[in-house]
Amino acid sequence: MSSLDAALSRALNTPGISGAALLDAVTGLSYAESGEVSAGRDSCEIAELARTRLTQAGASGELENVIVTTSTQYIVTIQLPRQGDPLLLCATVDRERTNLTWALRELTRYADELLA
Amino acid sequence: MTEGPPEPLTGSRNIPSLLSALRSQERSCTVVVAGAPGGSIHVRDGLVVAMETPGAPSVEGLLLRSGRVSEEAWSSVRATDTTHEHLAAELVHRGLVGAGELEVVSLSALFDAAFALSLATPDSWEVTDPVPTLYRNAGVTPERLLAEVSRRINLLAGEPGSVAALARTRMESATAAGLPGAVGTLPARHQDVLANADGRRTARDIAFALGRGLFAVMVDLRQLLDRGLVRPRTPSADTRPSTAARGAPSAVSPAAPEPVSLPRRRPGNTSSPAPRPQD
Repeated sequence: MSSLDAALSRALNTPGISGAALLDAVTGLSYAESGEVSAGRDSCEIAELARTRLTQAGASGELENVIVTTSTQYIVTIQLPRQGDPLLLCATVDRERTNLTWALRELTRYADELLA
Repeated sequence: MTEGPPEPLTGSRNIPSLLSALRSQERSCTVVVAGAPGGSIHVRDGLVVAMETPGAPSVEGLLLRSGRVSEEAWSSVRATDTTHEHLAAELVHRGLVGAGELEVVSLSALFDAAFALSLATPDSWEVTDPVPTLYRNAGVTPERLLAEVSRRINLLAGEPGSVAALARTRMESATAAGLPGAVGTLPARHQDVLANADGRRTARDIAFALGRGLFAVMVDLRQLLDRGLVRPRTPSADTRPSTAARGAPSAVSPAAPEPVSLPRRRPGNTSSPAPRPQD
């Protein structure tokens, strides 16, 4: 098993996180996927759209995350800055089983482990 | 050598069907592809683990040009392993690059080379014994490789002209007249691409200069084109880069006159790089 797959599977041990994927923020290439990731398929385009439109509207600072909320799920996309093109960690979070703050905290922790 | 590989693979009419055959046989080999750009496809147990082509930066190029690994550190790692068989493990072991990071770079180089190779029809190919190469990933199925390449072609296909033509086009910045506001709000990677669009470099040249993928640079160029921040350098009849007339122009020139004055190479001054306009 690849080190990326292993790191993503560990993220799924967190209650409420049912799927995670690591994408390239520019090319949209999926480097690794684990669990239920179908909801995050277009995360790359959504993040790019958010970043471009917000910048055009005058927002300052780098994009950190995009959270799309449905009646049952959060689709969380966290941008991971690195040397080179940024990556996106996308996760499907069950609203019934966890809260957003906790999920974000856990995902950020796994993001740090991912590229190590 | 149009026959391709020996017996069980003779039915392969193109590279995808060859890779499918290698996948079903779970072969470990290296496919040497002849043509422009040509390249090597490394297959282990039927899965593609690496591809190299002069058409896109390799893992080494991505690591070095982007500054992730220094030249000295790289030379020292290479010195320990002349066959390249254990380069990936050594890079991680020495803490020069994280295991996950190297996997990301390895996969991105693989898919990028597949994209670059797909832009031209290969002349021929040959299946050889496995050649050691630098990679760190669990391998990709030919189906996934093909699906991703198709996705990339479709993503860029909105351009007038083919994707291959876009890859060959020399881009120049259209911001010389001054659109500082627009440029200032661009992400850093777009600004880097813009600074390298000097009218002589193609997407491939910019990718090599920045240590980024060919496709990633083409996506950025496409966005910059859409915003009018770069434009294709007026194409001449002869698209080959190094055969442009260097002497005095001949008396009659059927080509349209160049509307913009660009830095020109002078005869006898071929080796030193011209300063970028932005510098």
